[in-house]
Amino acid sequence: MRALRTHLYHALLWAVALLFFAPVAWIVLSSFKTADQILAVPPTLFFRPTLANYVRVLSNPNIVSGFGNSLILSCSSVLIAVAVSFLAAFSFSRFKPRGTAFLMFLLLSIRMLPGSAAILPVYLMYVGLGWKDTYFGVILFYAMFSVPFSVWILKGFIDGVSPRFDETGLVNGAGWFRIMTRLIFPQVMPGVIAALIFNFIFVWNEFLFNYIIGGPRTANIPTALATGLYSGGGVDWTFVSVTTTLYIVPPILVVFLFQRYLLVGMTFGTVRGEV
Amino acid sequence: METATATRAPPSWATRLAALLQRRSVLPTLLLIPVLVFFIIWNTMPTLWLLGLSFYRFSLTSGRPPRFTGFGNFQSILQDSEVWLALSRTFLFVFSAVGIETVLGLLLGLLFWGSQRLPGRRVALTMLFTPMVLTPVAAGTFWRLIYDPTFGVLNAALRGIGLPSVNFLGNARTAFGAVLAVDVWMWTPFMVLMTLAALASVPKAELEAAEIDRLSWLQRLRLVILHHGKFILLLGILLRTIDAFKTMDLIYDMTFGGPGSTTELVAIMLYRRAFEVFAMGWSSALAVILLLISIAFTATFIFVLHARERRSQDVPT
Amino acid sequence: MQRNTTADVRDAGRTARGYAALTRRSLLGGAGAASVLGASRLARAADHPLKGQSIHMAILGIAGWTPSKLGVDLAPDFKRFAKATYGYDVDFSYTEAPFSQLFQKAATSLATRSAEYNIIISDSQWLGALAQPKWILPLDKYIAQRPGLNVEWFSPVVRSAYQAYPDGSPQRWGLPQEGDCMGLYIRKDLLEAPGEAESFQKRFGSKLPVTWEDFEALTFPDFLKLIAFFNRPDKGFNGFGAQYSREYDFISDPVMTLMRSMGGDVWDARTGQVEGILNTDGNAQALRQYKDLLRFEPGSAISYGVAELIDAFTQGKIFSALQWCAVGPAMITDALRDKVIVVPPPCFPTSSGKPVRNYIIGGQPWVINAFNDAAHREVALDFMEWWYTPETSLAFARHGGNPCDKATLTRADFDSIQPWFRTYKFMLNNSSDFWHDPAYADLLSVQQEGFTAYATGQASDPKHTLDYIACRQQKVLFDSGTAAKAPSAACSGIRL
Repeated sequence: MRALRTHLYHALLWAVALLFFAPVAWIVLSSFKTADQILAVPPTLFFRPTLANYVRVLSNPNIVSGFGNSLILSCSSVLIAVAVSFLAAFSFSRFKPRGTAFLMFLLLSIRMLPGSAAILPVYLMYVGLGWKDTYFGVILFYAMFSVPFSVWILKGFIDGVSPRFDETGLVNGAGWFRIMTRLIFPQVMPGVIAALIFNFIFVWNEFLFNYIIGGPRTANIPTALATGLYSGGGVDWTFVSVTTTLYIVPPILVVFLFQRYLLVGMTFGTVRGEV
Repeated sequence: METATATRAPPSWATRLAALLQRRSVLPTLLLIPVLVFFIIWNTMPTLWLLGLSFYRFSLTSGRPPRFTGFGNFQSILQDSEVWLALSRTFLFVFSAVGIETVLGLLLGLLFWGSQRLPGRRVALTMLFTPMVLTPVAAGTFWRLIYDPTFGVLNAALRGIGLPSVNFLGNARTAFGAVLAVDVWMWTPFMVLMTLAALASVPKAELEAAEIDRLSWLQRLRLVILHHGKFILLLGILLRTIDAFKTMDLIYDMTFGGPGSTTELVAIMLYRRAFEVFAMGWSSALAVILLLISIAFTATFIFVLHARERRSQDVPT
Repeated sequence: MQRNTTADVRDAGRTARGYAALTRRSLLGGAGAASVLGASRLARAADHPLKGQSIHMAILGIAGWTPSKLGVDLAPDFKRFAKATYGYDVDFSYTEAPFSQLFQKAATSLATRSAEYNIIISDSQWLGALAQPKWILPLDKYIAQRPGLNVEWFSPVVRSAYQAYPDGSPQRWGLPQEGDCMGLYIRKDLLEAPGEAESFQKRFGSKLPVTWEDFEALTFPDFLKLIAFFNRPDKGFNGFGAQYSREYDFISDPVMTLMRSMGGDVWDARTGQVEGILNTDGNAQALRQYKDLLRFEPGSAISYGVAELIDAFTQGKIFSALQWCAVGPAMITDALRDKVIVVPPPCFPTSSGKPVRNYIIGGQPWVINAFNDAAHREVALDFMEWWYTPETSLAFARHGGNPCDKATLTRADFDSIQPWFRTYKFMLNNSSDFWHDPAYADLLSVQQEGFTAYATGQASDPKHTLDYIACRQQKVLFDSGTAAKAPSAACSGIRL
């Protein structure tokens, strides 16, 4: 009886997971269909899969460079953001400079500004400074967008590390820099990884800013998807499904491999053990 | 940074500089400088620009220079029934979306809480979390196909069980619900994640105590779980609220704000006015208003958060 | 550049199956060689100021829109031609943006006085918005200097739609890249199936229209009979499909077509007056008629844009479609080859007895960035001059583009080059453009909202919907200084 209940419980959990995954599965399935099969009525579940779509999409130089750009932009911007945020979070957590609460609040306001509102001044500024469609400009912009969330997460985690560590370090003659990098940083690793992941996913999927302050050189896949949506006047469904399928692999892998850190990260430092 | 200086400058200098940098009065500010630089260049400047422009009448395509109008743009916005409709639609969207996502996320989170022995748990959770890592452009486009009355799989399923097709996105009565459902699908997993994190922050000892005290399920939820997990859950709700308020590309890709104006949220309206019509002054004014609304959301949240911190100061970490 | 590979594969597929008479390579090569021979007409060869230089040209065009892409696909021929004739090297890059975002992409760039895009493929209604701030080059001076740009067009509408701004003025700002008109795509195999003509005759007491000439004479009421007759949801297809989407101008074009063909108008281009012209009972009737067509369309038609309509037609879900000639290559797939005819969409009876067609014109002009340096401006002009040589025009046509020059359109074999060409040519004389006002996007956005609100049932009264649109448009035009009159008192507090 107990075993049956456990089985039912597990079946239910899997059903929920599959339900949420189903639309994504449909996209993945479609990527192996021909254009006509994607639009077939009733929809086809069983068919002879084709890899022709993949060959076609992967031989498109824009898609290849789009993937490269997505990787470069996401990875470098989140690394910069987390490094900068760590310093700030450490300062906020340990020294509580005057106006900490206000500054933390101001930082969050970066997240609050609607994209369409922020983009025009940023665009004009970028054109003026010659940063438009440069890796430098786009990466730093994304880094800025990733800062608030990272500061919030990391401050929570550093708060959770006892100040006794700092004191021991200071007594033993270590400077603050050493304390930060050698003593505190390793202990807030889960927070660092969670911040990296969340910001990675955000930058990975960002469209509007890439579309406007980026350009042919720095276009990521969401931009490539939006411009490649139509072909010959019709929606190019095979292109959309293949590109989406390929594009979702890295974030899924990240979620799979670092699942523990996602959960620990979102506790904002209140728990640092197994979740 | 002190090591770099040490190699170049005479030792006495280096020691003094290092000491200066280590000073409690200098170091905290020093550490904040990079973030402040980011903040000033990419946030303060655009915001000030926005604020300034909101007092001007300026259309990018008119070929005329900006003209100062004082509060003219704000006045025009406040008198525009379309803006009010879009705002009320947006509030409805934010409250329904965040509400449903929170409740559903909480329920599913509780459901997954005891799943440590679930075969393939990691895969199952990854699948559950997948919608929130999907690119909105792709999600919007593909949901359009899934909802399609002719080619869509959802309507094929409806027909399969003998129901008539529904044009989910094309019908003025169903479009709002349909885009809401997609948002719920995409972001409930985020609230599940936050719930699981919140549950993880509940001390095991207290749960065991609650079991020994034979507290009812509801009491346990209220007194133990929510008490400890409130902070994380609130944070999740805040993040979702801010993002839902800004929802743009997902809906734009599905309906373009239509049919009619049934799914035209205020962020879409802003995008349209700013980047299709290029009414820059007017859009800046609307953006300022939206920013103020968002700040109000967040201030409320921070207030609640601080209340919690004040209360839990005696709880050891 | 985004779609390079896809389009190449598609094009190659089509050509291989004999879509165009010649293979792609030999056609392009042929066109290039022919152009070189015809070069004498373009003069100034030997002493070109750019001789020996190397120029990079950037074109901004509409994503996934075959004719836009052809502008770039044919460019290698210009490269050869320029090298041989003028002695400079040129290469092209292509940036794309979807219809609804192209103007945004162009405007954000041009507003900063950037020469990021040297040539921009624009939509005809944007001419005003691009010309007003002087972002694009006024062309009259150059047309006077270069005989190759002084092309004789097939119809006066080409100049009024793709070149002139303000409306009716002699000033020219663009040159037609792609001409476009609406056509009625019909499934010929269904139309000509055995027994259909007889049963149509029996049911309606009139002859089933079959030939192109039958359709030329087909009036709107008779057209309704036709699509009602072929509306067979039980067989899995409907009688008709048209565009109703909120995106860009998709629902506006056919609705305005109905309004204008039924005797109404959408505004007065000279005074900027909308109120009292758009919101008439006649126009309300036209709007209602357009919504009523949904009876003969699939349930999803209410969200059809260009792309969805193509899918519905090519997947056999509709018997006929009111669709742009520009997407002919996508509408007539290999599977539908010889099963489709493209005919003039219906005409509208008038009291005078002579039926009219006053359809909305489609198509795109291309314009030259005003911030180009002299070298890029010269190359852009050289390129366009080359574009309008009969050889290039013909190559464009063979690839599925719609040229506008009289020389090509009056060729004896023109009608047979593409299945939709006869209709395209016919409709070019039966179409005209609407607003070229800088406030185009604003006017359009209100109208798209209003029309789709009515079509989907969010608003129930067509006249009130038009009142609402007219009031808001009047306000937009009054605020921008185009309209002399402010919105009337009836407009205060009006809601959809």
